[in-house]
This record gives sequence, structure tokens and C-alpha cells, in this order.
Amino acid sequence: MMRAAITRWVIYLTSASIGVIAFLYPFFLPMLPKEAVMGSAHAQDAPLLLTVLVGICFAALLVEAQAQAGSAKMIALLGVLVSINALLRFVEVAAPGPGGFSPIFFLIATTGYVMGGRFGFLMGALTLFVSALITGGVGPWLPYQMFTAGWMGMSAPLCRPAVRVLRGEGTWREVVVLALFAGVWGLVYGAIMNLWFWPYAVGPQEQHWQPGMHWTDGVMRYAAFYLATSLAWDAMRLAGNMLLMFAFALPTLRVLRRFQQRFTFTYRPMEQVGI
Amino acid sequence: MIHPLAWLIWLAAELAVLSATRNPFYLAIAIACAAVVLLCLRRRTVDAPPMPLSPLRFGLVVLPLAALFNALTVHIGRTVLLRLPATLPLLGGPITLEALTFGALNGLALTGIYAAFVVLNGAVAVRALVGLIPRAFFPVAVVTSIALTFVPVTLRHWQQIREAQAIRGHRIRGLRDWLPLFLPLLVGGLEHAFQLAEAMTARGFAGAQETAGARRARTLIAGGLLALLFGWLLWLGWRQRTLGITLMVLGGSAVVASLWWLGRQRPRTTYRPTRWYPRDSAVALASGIAAAVFLVAWPGLDRSSIFFYPYPALAAPGFNGWIALALGGLLAPALLTAPTQRAWLFRRTPGEDEVLKRDATVQERSKVGSMPSHALSVAVRQPDVECPPVPTGEPQ
Amino acid sequence: MIIFRDVSYTYPGATRPALRHVDFHLPEATFALVVGRSGAGKSTLLRCVNGLVPHFSGGTFAGRLAVAGLDPLSATPRVMSRYVGFVFQNPEAQFVLDRVEDEIAFALENAAMPRQEMRVRVEEVLDLLDLAALRERKLETLSGGERQRVAIAAALAFRPRVLVLDEPTSQLDPQSAEDVLNALVRLNHDLGLTILLAEHRLERVLQYADHVIALPDTADGARGVLCGATREVLPQLELLPPLVALARQLNWQPLPLTTKEGLHFSRALAERIPLAPPPTAAPRHGEARLALRRVWVHYDQQPVLRDISLEVQRGEILVLMGRNGSGKTTLLKTLVGLVRPTSGQVWVDGREVTGEDVATICRRVGYLPQEADMLLFADTVRQELEITLRNHGLLERDATIEPLLAQLGLSAHAGRYPRDLSVGERQRVALGAITVTQPVALLLDEPTRGLDYAAKEALSALLRSWRDAGMAILVVTHDVEFAARTADRVALISQGELIAEGAPAEVMGASPLFAPQMARLFPGRGWLTVEDSLRGLGVTDRP
Repeated sequence: MMRAAITRWVIYLTSASIGVIAFLYPFFLPMLPKEAVMGSAHAQDAPLLLTVLVGICFAALLVEAQAQAGSAKMIALLGVLVSINALLRFVEVAAPGPGGFSPIFFLIATTGYVMGGRFGFLMGALTLFVSALITGGVGPWLPYQMFTAGWMGMSAPLCRPAVRVLRGEGTWREVVVLALFAGVWGLVYGAIMNLWFWPYAVGPQEQHWQPGMHWTDGVMRYAAFYLATSLAWDAMRLAGNMLLMFAFALPTLRVLRRFQQRFTFTYRPMEQVGI
Repeated sequence: MIHPLAWLIWLAAELAVLSATRNPFYLAIAIACAAVVLLCLRRRTVDAPPMPLSPLRFGLVVLPLAALFNALTVHIGRTVLLRLPATLPLLGGPITLEALTFGALNGLALTGIYAAFVVLNGAVAVRALVGLIPRAFFPVAVVTSIALTFVPVTLRHWQQIREAQAIRGHRIRGLRDWLPLFLPLLVGGLEHAFQLAEAMTARGFAGAQETAGARRARTLIAGGLLALLFGWLLWLGWRQRTLGITLMVLGGSAVVASLWWLGRQRPRTTYRPTRWYPRDSAVALASGIAAAVFLVAWPGLDRSSIFFYPYPALAAPGFNGWIALALGGLLAPALLTAPTQRAWLFRRTPGEDEVLKRDATVQERSKVGSMPSHALSVAVRQPDVECPPVPTGEPQ
Repeated sequence: MIIFRDVSYTYPGATRPALRHVDFHLPEATFALVVGRSGAGKSTLLRCVNGLVPHFSGGTFAGRLAVAGLDPLSATPRVMSRYVGFVFQNPEAQFVLDRVEDEIAFALENAAMPRQEMRVRVEEVLDLLDLAALRERKLETLSGGERQRVAIAAALAFRPRVLVLDEPTSQLDPQSAEDVLNALVRLNHDLGLTILLAEHRLERVLQYADHVIALPDTADGARGVLCGATREVLPQLELLPPLVALARQLNWQPLPLTTKEGLHFSRALAERIPLAPPPTAAPRHGEARLALRRVWVHYDQQPVLRDISLEVQRGEILVLMGRNGSGKTTLLKTLVGLVRPTSGQVWVDGREVTGEDVATICRRVGYLPQEADMLLFADTVRQELEITLRNHGLLERDATIEPLLAQLGLSAHAGRYPRDLSVGERQRVALGAITVTQPVALLLDEPTRGLDYAAKEALSALLRSWRDAGMAILVVTHDVEFAARTADRVALISQGELIAEGAPAEVMGASPLFAPQMARLFPGRGWLTVEDSLRGLGVTDRP
């Protein structure tokens, strides 16, 4: 068991690190001396390399998450929840709400919180995948969406210690913790998506590298990009997530907890008692 | 019908080309190929799913935006169009033609990427996409299948719940009023999931095997990721190029090998494998050549025209006829999806057209009900012929 | 073939055991029926056969059992799936994929069967269940009966020796149920497949069963599990279809199970009794609580209801019957405003309400939809009733809630989670949720699905008590026996038009499709229930 836990944490942390480096790459790239980067002839390969790296991380995380969700019960449960959540995405696509508001994060956060990180990861990634399939739009941003939403679901159990400390299970305190979590992730999701997307939009960085240019210039340009394109969007997502949590979290958590018993049980052959 | 894997290869090639160059001629050729393929597709597919946004409209919006953004934030280049006061943060400075062009080229590349994905969505049926998922991720594929199958059921439930709550006097006045609609949906779904799990277990569905081998594979994956991370850090931070790259390659291969091995652990056969025909090989080869020309340095080929940059001064972009020819390989799917004339060249699946037509009429006749046509039409009305229901791993 | 030795089982977290000292032996190639009241443990028993209990559900298990030579307890459901096929109740929640052929092949693929072998099995199973014409179809375009046949086909793909079915026809209409049962009979007769079937509506299936396993009421532990030939076990049961109940009362031997067998006895008896004219309908008086006047409803330019005029009086129960797709549900929905008529008027309690909003109409008219579970979402039974009151802006007073709970027999369950209750209790909670506003009329759509005889009798009594209090009640049902017990008037609808309307004896008596068993036994007398027949024959009820 120890080895399994260590393996799991290694996979989480390394993929997190690779992910972080991958999306901060454009910032510190101008800092690196020319010979460290793959010469100007191959500069455009950087996004491809990043995609491959992130793809490998995602695959590793998927395999790890599958280890917990391998039984028929978990698969069926995930299938149905993903189906409901993917349909909720229609609310966002068909009837465009304000900004980046999307109802899918509510279920991703709550199921990850109740059922565990690996379940939350699969919930996040597959919601995005299936909703892309049914809206007829597998797009170039899909892998990034899957990865980021997966991270949101995976990090949801981090709320549990906070709720325990506040002794708030089943009360408004739990809702506040979850709402904060969902709100922060609403912003972070947008920021990460932009970071992934940015190199594609603005092209390779080294071309603009000139002596004296500092990494803060990169950050400033990104900040401008972010402000111009998505801060308003993400603020709506933040607000929407928090609103949904306040309105629906308690009843939903009650339902999920009620069913959790039936779904996570496994039979142990030693329990045969005469009556 | 072209094999879904061949389509994926085509897509990868398009993406590689579009990311690797900013030469306007090559970009234009690549996008034109994608457009031609798209047009051929829409003519062939009996029941084309609705495109969320056509590539043309996408391009019309994105191109000017990208050009503008780049022009406003990057102040490098010789041809100055106008000058903003330098006191403005970030925006201040000369607005140059070079920056504008570069932004436009980026926008063009983005449009091309989008168009390539639109082609994929139109060419490969939803279930076929699921079928491409590698065997190592079998549980994920099953979850996706279940989710897709449950979409119409959930929609029907939603309708029933709306009516049921309406007859209790429920009205939607505020956000909280969505709860009586959402909760029964959730609870109903969970109960359905339980029944489905029972049915799957009763039919002998085995979950993921927690064998010692699987655990070792995961440990290997963890190790591979560590190697990957350190190799990259070495390369970037400590400039150990060869050592870094070797570590990365080793780590990456370890992960991929473990995944492949995990896939092998779960023996499965396929009831209806999608066959790989010569035309699929042709598409794969043509796409591979196009991508290879752009990604790899071939001796004897002048690839300088690929790396076109308007900075520091705008100049005419180069053009190499051979490269353009290789790019034409991306037209392969368009040439090969018109089956009638080509029947004597490549073997076709018998009865393909008839099954397509029959499937379409069956869908027409069967009443699916008043549902949001968008979701249902994509989830339900894909005429997929000869698609493996769940992952195969490799074409047979 | 199937041997249970002193099997006892308790669900996890339950206070009482679900099965207690179950002991029986079932030989091979039998068609066995498992009967018992709701909650007696039929589903649990069936799931023991393939190991789902206890591997899937947990809990504590005692005793020994053998199925086809294997012990399901040590062999897991995975191994048992090769020997025991299982079909569940809900035709919707059993499928992973969306096409018939793919779904059947799914289990075979998981077992890594060679492709040639898979093709052979799929073909043979499609032929066995007569599904060859449907093989390319998507599952959601199939009817409930076709889907259950696909489920049976998928279960048979492994060539099991036993087929277990847990109420497979309870969600289906009579025609589909017939198809499914015929398929099962064929499988049993032609292939010698052992079939174990749990079913509430015995009248359909008794004639085919050669063995009956009867589980005792959990409340009454006096009688153990009975297992034996049909005609031996039946007389010892409490709840029986009308024909068998009458036969037992009159001591007909050998016990008739079909109308044909019963006619043999009833003709002899009936000859002695002079033919009296059937009772005519009581003259109708009073104002109509519900009325449809010349209503047309179109759906996609196709007429679903054609020029329908129908009235339900105060203090009357009208039963509406008709084939599937004849427009019955649409008619009910038009009455409450869920469907807007293309032309015509809808009147409720003397006021026209055509085109009004559903919530307003439903204050005066209660409507119980087919899927009553869709109504329930609160944490307790009492809250469900309070929510409806709140929706309508009425005060939540105990004075309205408590008596209703008592009348529905739910006072003991007032604080429980509604979804944990049995089918019959859930239905009564739903009924409570819609009648708490004290409506003047009540509409019920197929309320007898999934109910056993006792629950149906209780529902019938409840409806009759409400009718006596002045409510107008309209019931749509396929269940002829229920209609016979409950209806004051009967109407038949076909293709959107009313084709008959009148007293039950008139409308149902002679119709080949809708006549209850008593009417078939004693044609032309207007006797619909066992009590009617006994009275007519001059036999007093023996204690």
C-alpha cells in the first residue's frame, strides 16, 4: 500500500511540475541563452514538444485514476454523471450565459470532494470530452480543457481538511469552503487555458528577443493579453461557480453521500455469519 | 469511408504543418487542402452534423483580432505605420507593419487548425472516435460509451421531470427553483447507474485488474515521468542538452511502453473491426510526407522558405515548389472519398452506400421526440458503418 | 440444478433479514415462477442464483447453495455469468452501447472470445429471440418489449444453462409483455433452458410455469418457502389471479390456470343459473368536474386526438383503456394543460381552462404521471407534501398534511427518505404530493405498474374512498382486473378517438381484449370480479 501511495504522489507531483513548467515556458524562454533553446530553425517545435509532454502526463494521470475507478459500479457511476454534466454544458453552449460561466464545474467539484481525487479527475476530463463529442466540436483546445478540468476535480478533496477543521460538515461552512474553491478555480481555469493558448496565438517568443529584454516583459504582455481577452470572462465564471455552490451544494452533497455507501462497498468473503 | 486512424494521422500532419511555419504561401496551401477535404466531406456524408462555427467565420473574426493584438503589443520592425505615445504602458511605441503581418499570420494558422478539427468532426463518427481510444484506457472508453448512450435517456428524464414538477405547481422564478429539476435528475441517474452496474456485473464485466504487474507498470510510469521532468530541467536550466534529451527520451519511452503493456494485459477481441484498406495507407503516407518535409531537415532540400519571419523588415516570402507539392499530399482524403469513380482502383466495402442510406431512413422514421435537435442529432444520427464499439488498439 | 440449503441473507445496514432459511430444490429445464408480496425477497432470491448477492450488494450471507454444480459464493458473478443469464426489470438501464448487435457482442468481447465464435453466437441469439430484423437499429428507437428481448439475447450470448428474470415485464404494455413471455416459453420448450421468473401479474404467466416458488410475507414468518408443481403450491397462496381464486373457492379440480380450462367448469355451473340482463349504468347526474369538448391535438402535424369529447362527473371513477399509442397519455396531459389543444376546449369544475398555465390548473386537478418517481426529491415524506403546498402558495398546516398521511397509510414513514420506500409506498407519497392541495379531480396514468395484488387492492380502495368523498377520478390503465374492481364507467380510445363509453359490464364484458377473467368465464352476465361471480352463483364466501 505504501508503494502504491508513493507511486501515486510521484505521478501527481511530476505531472503537476511538468504542467506548470509547460505553461510558464513562454515566460522564461526569452531568458534562456540561445544555445539552450533548440536553435531558431526549430523554434516552432516548442508548442509541439509541450503538447507531447503534457499528453504523456495526462495519459499517466488517466492510468492512475483508472486504478481506483475500475469496477463496474464506478464505471457506471462515472458514465451517468458524465452524461448529466455534459448535457449541462448545453446550458452554456445553447443559451449563452454571461461570459465564461459554465455549470459543469459544480458537479466536478462536488463529486471530486465526495468521491475522491481520482474520481474527480476522471469526472473533469471526461465531462469535457463527452460534451465536446455531443456538441460536435472536438477542438484544438480540448486536451487542455480536459487536463485543467481534471486538475480541478483532482484537487477538490483538498477542501476536506478545511471543512474538518471548521467542523462544518453538512452546514453552510462547508458550502463556503466549496464555494471559495470553485470560485478560485473559475479564475485559475481561465488563466491556465489562456496560458496554454497564448503561444499559439502570438507565435514563438524568441523572435522578439532582443538584448535587454527581461522576463517581466513577457509577464506584462501576458497580463495585457489576459486583461484584454479573458478577465471579464473568468470573473463571470468565478461568480457563476460560487452562485451555483451556494444555491445547490447542500442538497447535492446529501444525495451524493447517500449513494456513496452503495457504490463504494466491496464484498469481503469473511463476513459470513449464521443467523 | 476512411479509417478513423488515418484521419487522425491526417489531422496530426495538418497540425504539424500549421504549427511549424509562418510562410503565408504554405499556410494558404495547407488551409486550402483542408477546405477542399471539408467540401468533399459535406457532399458525401448523408447526415452531416451541424457545425458550431464555420472555419470561414472563425477566420474572419480571429485574423483581424490576432493581427491587431500583435501590432499593439509588439513594437519591433522597420516599417512604422503610426506611433503611439511611449508613455502608454505596453501599448506605447511604434505600430509596425511587420508586427501586424505576423499577427495576421498567426491568426491564419489558428484558422487552419480550427478547420482541420472541423474536418475531423465531420469525417469521424462519434463512436468511431471512442473506438480509437487505446486499450490501456479501456475503463475510460467504457465510461464514454455509457455516457453517450445515456444522453438521450437523460434528456427524456429531464422532460419527464419538468412535467412532473410543473404539475406540483412548480414555477421557475429564481435560481433555487432549478433544484427540484436537477435533484431528481441526479438521483434518477444514480439509481440508473446502480442498475447498469448490476447488469454489467451479471454479464461478466471485469473491472481493472489490480495485479502485481499493473502496479509495477504504474511504478515504471512514475519513474518515467521523473526522468522526463529531470531531463527537461537539465536541458533548460543546466544546459545539458544531450543528457537532458536522452533522459527525456528514456522517460517518455518508459511511460509509453508501460501503457502499451497495460493495454496488452486486458485481452479483448473485436466483433466488428474497422478494416484498413490501401486507401487508408495512401492517406497516411501522403500526410506523413507532408509533415516530414516540415519537421525534419532533409539533405538536398532547401527548407529556408519555411522559416519566414517578417522581422526585422518585411520581405517577400520564399517559395519552394517541392515543398508545395509535398503539401498537396494533404489533399489525399478528398481524392479518396469519392468512391464511385475510384471503385476500380481501391477495394470498397460492399454495400456501404446502401447501409448508409438505410440507416438514414431508419433514423428519419423512428420518432426520437421533441428534444434539442443539436445534441441529439450528433449523439444519435451519426451513420457509422463498421465501427468497432469499443477500443481495439490497432487496426486489423 | 438449483439447490438452496438453509440460505439466509441480510442487506448491509438492514435490521431484518431479507431471506430466512430458504430451502428448495429446482430440477433442470423447469419454468419456475417466484411469487410473493413486495418486499418478500424475490429479487434477493434471484440475485443469489448468479452471485450478485452477496458479491455486488454486500451484507451477511449464511447457508449453502449450488447452481448447475457451482457455488455462486466462491465463484464470483464473473464466472457465474457463463452459466446464469440475468435480465433486469428496467429496459432502459441495462445497456452500455447503442446498437443491438454491438450490445450483444459486448460481453463476448470482454471475454476475449475469438471473432468467428462471436459471430456464430450473435447470429444464433438473434435468431432465438427473433431480433434479426432489428440488428442494426439503435437501442433507444426500440420499444420496451424489443429492448427486453435484446437484454435476454445479451444474457444468452454465453449459452447459459439458467436464465433468471426479475420482473422483466412490469414496465411493459401487455403486447410487449406477451412477446417477451412467448420468447421465454419458446426458449424453455425448445432448448430446455431452465427459467426462473419473478412476476407480479400472475394471470399472464401461470399457464406456462411448471413450478412455483412462493416466498412468505416477511411479516408473517409462519409459512416457509414453498416449492413445487404449480397446481400444488397455488392453492396455498394468499394472493391469486381471479380465475384461480374462484377455482379454489369452488374447489375445482384439477386447478384451472387458463380461461380454456376454466370454461370447462364454468359452463357446467352457468347452465344452471338463468341469464339475467347485465346491470345498466346508473344514470349520470351532477355537474361534470372534468370535460373535454371537441378537442383536437396535433403533434408534428399528425393528429393525436381527434374531436374528443369526454366528461368525468363528480363522484365517479372513469377508466380509460386502449392500445399503446392510442393517445391516452396525451389526453391526460391535455386535461392538465401540459399539452395545448389545437382546437376545442378543456373545462375544469365548470370553468374553461384551455390554454391556462399548468401550475394553476394543477391546484384543482391532481395528475399522477407514469413515472411517479420523477416527482420525488425531498429528504422526507412530509417535506414532499409541504413542498407542493409551498409551490402553490398555500399554508403548510399539519391539519391538511397529517390526515392525508394517515389516509395514505404513510404516517409511520413520515420521516423517511422517499426513495428508500417500496414501489407501492413511493407511489402513495407521490399521490400525497399531488392531492395535498385537495383537488376536485384526479388523473392517474398507469398507476398499477410494478404493484402486487395487495397493493393494487389498496390503491383501488383508496380511489373508491376518494370518489365517495366527491372527487372525479380518471384512470388510464392496461390492467383489466384493476379496471373491473375500480371503475364506475369505462371508455375505450383508439387512434385518438373514443370508440366506446359506458358501464364496465357493457364495454369490457364482451371485448376479447379487455374482458376480465370472470367475464370470459361467464360471458354475457356482466360479472367482472370474483365477488360478482360468487354472488351471482349464489355461493356465500367461506371464511
